Amino acid sequence: MIEPSLALYGDAFDQVEKHLGDLLESTGVRYCLLVDRKGFVLSHKEALWAPRPPALDSVATLVASNAAATAALANMLGERTFSEQIHQGEQGTLYVESVGDMALITLIFDSSVPLGRVKVHTKKTTLLLADILKDIKDVPAIEFDDDFGANAASLLDDLLG
Amino acid sequence: MSTINFAAREINCKIVYYGPGMSGKTTNLKQVFAKVPEQLRGDMVSLATEDERTLFFDFMPLDLGTVQGFKTRFHLYTVPGQVFYNASRKLILRGVDGIVFVADSAPNRLRANAESMRNLRENLAEHGIDVKEVPLVLQINKRDIEGALPIEMIRAVIDPKKELLWQEAVADKGRGVFETLKLVSRLVLERLSKGE
Ligand SMILES: Nc1nc2c(ncn2[C@@H]2O[C@H](COP(=O)(O)OP(=O)(O)OP(=O)(O)O)[C@@H](O)[C@H]2O)c(=O)[nH]1
Ligand SMILES: [Mg+2]
Repeated sequence: MIEPSLALYGDAFDQVEKHLGDLLESTGVRYCLLVDRKGFVLSHKEALWAPRPPALDSVATLVASNAAATAALANMLGERTFSEQIHQGEQGTLYVESVGDMALITLIFDSSVPLGRVKVHTKKTTLLLADILKDIKDVPAIEFDDDFGANAASLLDDLLG
Repeated sequence: MSTINFAAREINCKIVYYGPGMSGKTTNLKQVFAKVPEQLRGDMVSLATEDERTLFFDFMPLDLGTVQGFKTRFHLYTVPGQVFYNASRKLILRGVDGIVFVADSAPNRLRANAESMRNLRENLAEHGIDVKEVPLVLQINKRDIEGALPIEMIRAVIDPKKELLWQEAVADKGRGVFETLKLVSRLVLERLSKGE
């Protein structure tokens, strides 16, 4: 089973949400996501005025895969990591920065938003987030009931005939 | 969206379609995408070259439903089969829960099947996984082509000890696609419920 590498809930979750909210406000970006290295969305905030976001689980998978590929490149070049990725289009920008070894912060914003401002604020937030995440423990294992297999099998029959 | 709410745990299983180039891995995913109810699947993301060969991966999430209170979801991936793209293949295998090995029945692909299987073993070993520990099913695809090799010959090079469950398929016609997915999903869920 692939599980998010971080069990973000309770207090830690609330704190992360707050920091992402603050970042959203101070930078003026559209969307702001915290994604783990496996491609799970841990937390997500969007500006009130922003249009409906694209499929976020796809965004998260691609951001994480991209980061994995970039990390492999860094490795080959003898670097521990490349800390940030910027993808600039005509209308908007995707900015990704590592939050420690466990997560990635992803911001999506219009080209009217200055990149410098985004970078400065994101770097600050990244430190705060890394601090929260480092104290988070693994998810406790799920205890499966005896009927789990049978129930899952009948759902599989429904889904796949 | 897969934001994690700890009170409502999700079960996420990663299933990877492996096999030599052009064996029909992407075709399997496309068929699943086309045939499952829309509300149960997410977008299909395909990172492919101009000529539709997989470059990095295809990805599609598929919801099984809620099993004993756990929302259960499959993440289906394909790897690029071309030998050249091994670095990408290795990345995709990370965290894998189940594998479908899609073999090609074409007579001139027998060696490619065998080599891809060996490559799978090596790549899993690099992740510290013994191929015997992972639920793995064999799909023998392209049964429709002229001169398709006998099933037994293909099994002999990929699974000489005959340990794997297998399924015949004509993936581009949808034949054997769901059956294969069901075989591997069942193995994955069984293994989960036994606590590995
Ligand atoms: N005749 C026949 N053709 C098939 C079958 N399944 C797939 N194909 C065709 O085989 C070709 C390659 O299929 P893909 O699904 O792209 O192969 P792949 O394994 O993803 O290839 P890579 O991405 O390069 O690893 C396509 O033209 C498919 O339409 C089959 O059962 N029979
Ligand atoms: Mg492909």
